[in-house]
Amino acid sequence: MSPTQRPARVSPATDTTVRALGVALTACLAALVVWAYVRQPQTLAEVTGGLTASVGAYRIDQQAFDEARQLFQADQFAGAEAAFNRADPARQDARTQFYLAYAFYRHGWGRVYNDDVLFAQGLEAVNRAIALSPDGRLMVDDPDLQMTSADELKADLEEGLHRDPSDFNPLNVFRRRK
Amino acid sequence: MSPAREAIYLPVLFLTVALLGGLRIGERVILVPPPLFTLVLALLLIGVLVKGAALDSDRLMHSRRPTLANVNGFILLVTAFFASAQAFSMVTPDAGLPRVLCGGFLFVLLLNTIAAATDRVRVLRSLLIIFGTAFVLKFVVLASLASPAGGTVSRILQILLEGATLGTLSQPVSDPATGYVAFFVLVLFLFGLSMLPPRRSRETTDLVETR
Repeated sequence: MSPTQRPARVSPATDTTVRALGVALTACLAALVVWAYVRQPQTLAEVTGGLTASVGAYRIDQQAFDEARQLFQADQFAGAEAAFNRADPARQDARTQFYLAYAFYRHGWGRVYNDDVLFAQGLEAVNRAIALSPDGRLMVDDPDLQMTSADELKADLEEGLHRDPSDFNPLNVFRRRK
Repeated sequence: MSPAREAIYLPVLFLTVALLGGLRIGERVILVPPPLFTLVLALLLIGVLVKGAALDSDRLMHSRRPTLANVNGFILLVTAFFASAQAFSMVTPDAGLPRVLCGGFLFVLLLNTIAAATDRVRVLRSLLIIFGTAFVLKFVVLASLASPAGGTVSRILQILLEGATLGTLSQPVSDPATGYVAFFVLVLFLFGLSMLPPRRSRETTDLVETR
């Protein structure tokens, strides 16, 4: 075989570069796969938000958050829930998820009975907030709220979803929303 | 096998299969991790590939290879293993008697393929048939039985069938998109298997060692 016919050989340095690149790329992709299976993202926003949050670059939409809080304080909970979701589409901000859970709590609270669907959504949101908080503890400094810790809100939501004979106590109509 | 194929293309392909193989599209999008039994099936599949000369593990990991090349080979084997587990998980019915039967059949078929494996082409052809049949069973036959019935007659037939089989055939309803994704993933997976480094014939090995 003449030298011109011999297949071109790749230099060892290039081989090493390709192999090292392969290890790095595979490690990143494997981490992404594991992350996806653990977090179970539902939307593209959750995927991108989760990835940016993992490198500490995730920011909520502050304008939407401020609007949501105004709606929340005005007792317009359906609007507040939509705005909180818009503010944190990737569901990566613990504080926004706490407010979202609180909006579901107030929206679903009733003097005679609670709305189980809204309470369940609230419970999901507060669980996300707790999972996103360092050490699982979240305190929100807001004088307008009667429950400032995620644990307290979670306990109230769980109690609202729980069925027991005390639910039929007629004096429950005098209880107050937090 | 070129370093790029071993270090980049095939691991990325198998990781894609591992990611999408667990995808279940329903009311929510869920990623289902591989059940324990599919890990056993995946191990058997690797055995089938090695026994049938469709995969030469010495060309991926060997004391004569550089460390980095061995790391690449190890990663390729691991990704192929998890992709196999997810491929089996994907084509296995989700619940009931079909799940048990399909698992048993796959197990026996793989053992049979190990025993009968003679050459690479036959092994790959056999795997194509195994996965193809399981795919058709789950995504065509069982999916049509589980899909919400359109007319009254088909609904009555479904209820009769469910009653006759004591509900053991009924499967959770999934979005048709799941089937399309599964088909794409299966093709990708089988393509990946065919691209694994096969065992060289003795003459080729001698030639390579001489050079």
